[in-house]
Amino acid sequence: MSLQYLKAAAAAGDREKLVRYVRLHFGDGNEEAGRKEIDKAWAEALKPLLEVPPTDREFILETLRTRDSATLAHLFFHLHFHFVQQSGEWIHDGRL
Amino acid sequence: MTEDSSGSRQLRPGLWATVNERYPGSMIHKSHGVPLAPLRKPLNECRVTFISTSGVQPKGTLPFDTVHPVGDYSFRRVPSSARADELDIHQLKYPTAGAERDLNVIFPIERLQELAAEGTIGGLTADFFTFIGYNMDPERLERTLAEDIAAAVSDSGADIALAAPA
Repeated sequence: MSLQYLKAAAAAGDREKLVRYVRLHFGDGNEEAGRKEIDKAWAEALKPLLEVPPTDREFILETLRTRDSATLAHLFFHLHFHFVQQSGEWIHDGRL
Repeated sequence: MTEDSSGSRQLRPGLWATVNERYPGSMIHKSHGVPLAPLRKPLNECRVTFISTSGVQPKGTLPFDTVHPVGDYSFRRVPSSARADELDIHQLKYPTAGAERDLNVIFPIERLQELAAEGTIGGLTADFFTFIGYNMDPERLERTLAEDIAAAVSDSGADIALAAPA
């Protein structure tokens, strides 16, 4: 999928094309693998919160308030790979 | 990839149809070739540089952005005198098991150092140049990354640029 294809999908509100691209990105070209990777990241993100430990909400809120959308979106992608890596199940050939 | 690559020389039948199904709209159209640049002096007098999409970079430098959904359009300089154990690979899109054992299979820095030491080539530029191949915007790549590397290679005094995809 080219960037032009993705921009057209975004402009048309075609969420399925965008999500499919994200799945392919996370799944190294395998959409089903990408879907599982997304689930895996969310499961890993949930685990540290189960005991309700203190978290730095000031940092979170400050970051959300002061950083631009592109930086936050980039962080979101970083967090996905961070939690996937933390799971110990690494499907990718290379490294971050 | 180019549409010109289709036809009898394609890797396997139906390859381009598969690519278009999985990555619709990704085909690059190139109507102009790159003019040949014949050597103007003997190989053993030529300074050689190396350009690689391997994601190899000096340890401790900012890792290539392997998570960005649209790619990383920056490049790194890798000192041509570096040892393999001073370098890292940061990319997600090709198997690195072999390169982890011997970096030269993807980034033949020691082979090039040997060719320079034995006089087969005239020498190496101070730096080699690397980036990652996962870039979804070929026009941006051509306009920025390719131009930036071309300028750096030109400034390096290279007579020959060896380019290798990962």
